[in-house]
Amino acid sequence: MVEEILLADDFVRQLISVGEVDILVGIPSFNNAATIGQTVLAVEQSFQQGFARERVVLVNVDGGSGDGTREVVMNTRAEKSSSGRGLTSLRTEQRVVTQYGNAPSASLAMRTILAAADLLRAKACAVISPATSNLTTAWITNLLEPVYRDKFDYVAPLYNRHKYDGLLSRNLLYPMSRSVFGQGIRELHPSELGFSGRLAGHCLAQNVWNQEDIQDAPEIWMALTAISSDFKCCQAFLGTKERASAGTAPDIVTAVRQNVGSLFWCLDAEEDFWMQRAKPEAVPSFGSESDLTSEPMNLNRQRIFELFRSGVQDLAPILQTILATETMAEIQSVAGQSEEKGRLSGDLWARTLFDFAASHHHAVLNRDHLIQALVPLYRGRIHSFLVEHQDSNAEQMEADTENLCVQFEKQKPYLVERWQAKA
Amino acid sequence: MKEMILQGLSQAYDNLVHMIAIFVPRFAVMLIIVVVGWIVALALRYTFRAILHVTRLDRISEEAGASQVLRKAALPPMSELLSRALFWVVWLGFMVLGVSMLGIPELHEQIARVFQLLPQIFIAILILFFGVLASNFLSRAALLASVNAGHKSPRVWSGSIRFVILILAISMALEQIGLANQTVTSAFSIVFGAAMLALALAFGLGGRHLARHALEQYFGSRKTEEDKGEEPSPL
Repeated sequence: MVEEILLADDFVRQLISVGEVDILVGIPSFNNAATIGQTVLAVEQSFQQGFARERVVLVNVDGGSGDGTREVVMNTRAEKSSSGRGLTSLRTEQRVVTQYGNAPSASLAMRTILAAADLLRAKACAVISPATSNLTTAWITNLLEPVYRDKFDYVAPLYNRHKYDGLLSRNLLYPMSRSVFGQGIRELHPSELGFSGRLAGHCLAQNVWNQEDIQDAPEIWMALTAISSDFKCCQAFLGTKERASAGTAPDIVTAVRQNVGSLFWCLDAEEDFWMQRAKPEAVPSFGSESDLTSEPMNLNRQRIFELFRSGVQDLAPILQTILATETMAEIQSVAGQSEEKGRLSGDLWARTLFDFAASHHHAVLNRDHLIQALVPLYRGRIHSFLVEHQDSNAEQMEADTENLCVQFEKQKPYLVERWQAKA
Repeated sequence: MKEMILQGLSQAYDNLVHMIAIFVPRFAVMLIIVVVGWIVALALRYTFRAILHVTRLDRISEEAGASQVLRKAALPPMSELLSRALFWVVWLGFMVLGVSMLGIPELHEQIARVFQLLPQIFIAILILFFGVLASNFLSRAALLASVNAGHKSPRVWSGSIRFVILILAISMALEQIGLANQTVTSAFSIVFGAAMLALALAFGLGGRHLARHALEQYFGSRKTEEDKGEEPSPL
């Protein structure tokens, strides 16, 4: 059994003492002592408000925190209201804490949560990030309810965000995964998600956990596995996603390497599924429509374009081995224009990404190098996006994203052709 | 007098016949060894190439950038190149063995020296091959990292890394075959030391303002390009 290999004895002992559960909420952590107490309270409140009759457990999987995160999880208690008539669960609320290693690992944390869910035969599960400071009970309920009550298997979150946040998702992960896999999930690499015990067991049984490409973003693989294995997927609106403070968010190169690496790997792994997928299907959404905010940001568009231009120039020999001749010529032409005029259109961007995906499949270059070579072109696309949407409102941006997805869908035969062509 | 001449000619003729009688079988043996060697080498070449195809060496070589170098040098793909090299090494071995059967002492000595040198040449070729692979891979990694970090002159960094690794590989290969050992080691030390000294002087004297600025940026206030404006969050 996978659990026997993966889980520590003490953890298994704790899980056995819990017994079977209906709901499991996993909190992966690493040095989150400052915020995790609040997360634990929010989770338990959501248990009391939404799942008072269900058997529930909170599982904290820690990557070796040195700031007492695990102790905070075990010792945090809700203050009793003065009237003494607060909400209480009808069943014991269980907490389980384990340390899966001495360094944080997204893949190992996720695998431990899935293994716990499988062992406890949980019906509905959610993963919550302890770094989310504005987490409310509604977030957890919104992730769990579609699974527990409506029998969905995978729930991706929808957020209110700043219009310039999550641009990798908006310009790359969402349109590409939607056009190729046929179902559009807006947040392919979320910090919060919900899933069924059935999907947990399915994912746990896959022999992919040692794959280098999904170590940093197993959520992408999980979402695409849910789509390609015909699990029921949906999206649920949670609330406002706070902007990451400086230094905490991954830089642009790391984000592209982790996310695009995982996406391209999934394209390879699920080739048989998406090659035959003809028409895209809509993914049902719960809750209110997500919105965009537009507080002023100190963006340096000139520098972003300069990095695109110099990248295209310096990496020309590498890009020539990845891109089709016409695509390369068009990109060089855009890079040769002035900052005000240079635009990487949706159609060109789609062909560029499909060239990269096909070249990744044919391994024309070391795969990590290939993905790094995409970074300057992504910057070019982001520059175009910023120029086009400096005054756009939420509706205009949504319409543009929809249009980009259509461009990607139109170009899917091009991907298939390049994919099947001999290297 | 006439008899003596006739006797001398007869002896010379006998010697020639005797020599031919000894040489022809040896020559025939040599030819047989060379032909058998060609067949064995050819068989080994095809077997080795098939093994390399199974291990997908060409794809690995393509990923590491070695195939690009080979194409630029108008050389065949990696599996073909290695199997041809094996063919020639094996056939050359048989040819040398065949020639040694002719029984010429001077040739024997030279052949022995060539035989002693063969493993060294093979190791030197391997060193060069891995040197080219490492220089390509690392220079490309440096190029991508410096382009994505927005550093100035990324091609200079990547070219310098390629140059240093290639020089190191060439000097190691030459040392392996024992070609002017002292000269190669000294030349490498001088070139490498001079390059480092030149860089240190250029950075410390010629570019001392730049050096000061760079160190201040790194250890001091860390006012980087990002302060002039950030990039939007990707996630």
